[in-house]
Amino acid sequence: MTLLRRGRWITGVALALLAVVYVRALAYTPVERFQGPAQKIFYVHVPSAWCAMLAMGLVGIAGILYLLLKDPRFDRFGEASAEVGTAFSLVMLTTGPIWAKPIWGTWWTWDARLTLTLFLFLLFLGYLLLRGAVTDPGLRARYSAVLGICGLVLLPFIHLSVYFFRTLHPQPIVLKPSAPSLPGPMLFTLLFSFGVFTLLYVGFVTQRYALALFRDQAELGGGGGRDGHA
Amino acid sequence: MPESIPQNAGFMVAAYTMAAVILVGYAVLLYRRTRKP
Amino acid sequence: MAEVLRHAWRLARKDLLVEFRSRTAILSAAVFTVLVLMVFNFGRDPTAVAAVDLAPSILWVTFTFAAMLALNRAFQLELENQALDGLLLAPISRASIYLGKLVANLIFVAAVETIGLPLFALFFNVAVLPVLGPLVGVLALATVGFVAVGTLFSAMTARTRFAELLLPVLLLPFMIPPLIWAVLATAALLAGRPLSEAAGWLRLLAAFDIVFVTLAFLLFPATVNE
Repeated sequence: MTLLRRGRWITGVALALLAVVYVRALAYTPVERFQGPAQKIFYVHVPSAWCAMLAMGLVGIAGILYLLLKDPRFDRFGEASAEVGTAFSLVMLTTGPIWAKPIWGTWWTWDARLTLTLFLFLLFLGYLLLRGAVTDPGLRARYSAVLGICGLVLLPFIHLSVYFFRTLHPQPIVLKPSAPSLPGPMLFTLLFSFGVFTLLYVGFVTQRYALALFRDQAELGGGGGRDGHA
Repeated sequence: MPESIPQNAGFMVAAYTMAAVILVGYAVLLYRRTRKP
Repeated sequence: MAEVLRHAWRLARKDLLVEFRSRTAILSAAVFTVLVLMVFNFGRDPTAVAAVDLAPSILWVTFTFAAMLALNRAFQLELENQALDGLLLAPISRASIYLGKLVANLIFVAAVETIGLPLFALFFNVAVLPVLGPLVGVLALATVGFVAVGTLFSAMTARTRFAELLLPVLLLPFMIPPLIWAVLATAALLAGRPLSEAAGWLRLLAAFDIVFVTLAFLLFPATVNE
């Protein structure tokens, strides 16, 4: 089965399972007493955050591997992971404030989670813009690797800066966010959602990688045509 | 006397819809971009 | 090692001579700084907000913009006349090129900050002298952070189409953590708090600098090698 077909299959299955997650979260998971139904946004927001972070981490690692091994497959993977990461960051960026409003009383707050969301989105955006601005494939791959690695290294510093900012500027808390220890059914929904979102990530990246592969092959075919070899 | 559960289901629906739109939307986008012309 | 430093310094000298001889860059950066400070002053209600509360933020926003201006020009010089190729062909290591650029940019931004800080103290009536030493320390550390990453990125964006737009977009996420620590440290210093409070943020700034300067040295060759 080609890469693309496999990617499409995985995505299809993941989307079907996503529907299952939705049903389970919305109808079959208990409502949290103090936060109300809005707490359930958690089951979608947190797995998206995980996927966005995973995407960023893998972009950085792909960058390191590309610079060390010069294998264009890593560059393609970075490209794919960054675009998919942007999609998940967008989910984070929209569901985050929608969650914050009923729970914290305000659409935006500079707490660690939401601020990290913004950072991730800006990093992905920057990565994609840089790729768009460079036409030479070799240069583009090297530049992307450099930016990806810097982005990855930045992540712990983001945490360190936001943490301090937060402890000095207490957030308005209307309702306390959910405690780390979740009762059984809720934990299950969350973990199930994590799994499905990760699968969705894999499906998306596989397809996007295939797209990059087609484009690169087309470029090679077109560029080398003049000499007579493909 | 326990207070009633907050009535904020609207936010929940909005967030779930938003997430679905983005994820399904991206899936559709990928499908169309990868279709051989 | 000494050779790397020597070459770097020669490069830096060349850049600085070009910049300061024409004087347009430093003058426009200085004017820009004054303008930003003025706007901030007119933009706030003096009866509602004390200068000392806003002061750290204002100071750092001003310097961040000034640094951005400097960085945009960093590789511009080489781009004209394709001097960058000449530079790469010269028998100097990539590390020298990066170091030279870094030093030149640092000196340029430092010059802007030297002009800006007294003006800031004057316009906002802020007692800078008692904490001048530590404050200069904060300035130095944060500036090194911005410029280290900025020099690396400007090497990449210089050859792209929308360089002036792209560089700030790429650089922004990297400037925010040092900016946050610098603002917090400056606020602590200006409020007369003990040095030990600011020390934590200075340590973070130093850690950021060490990590990113090292990373930039390691990655710079990838941005200019063929």
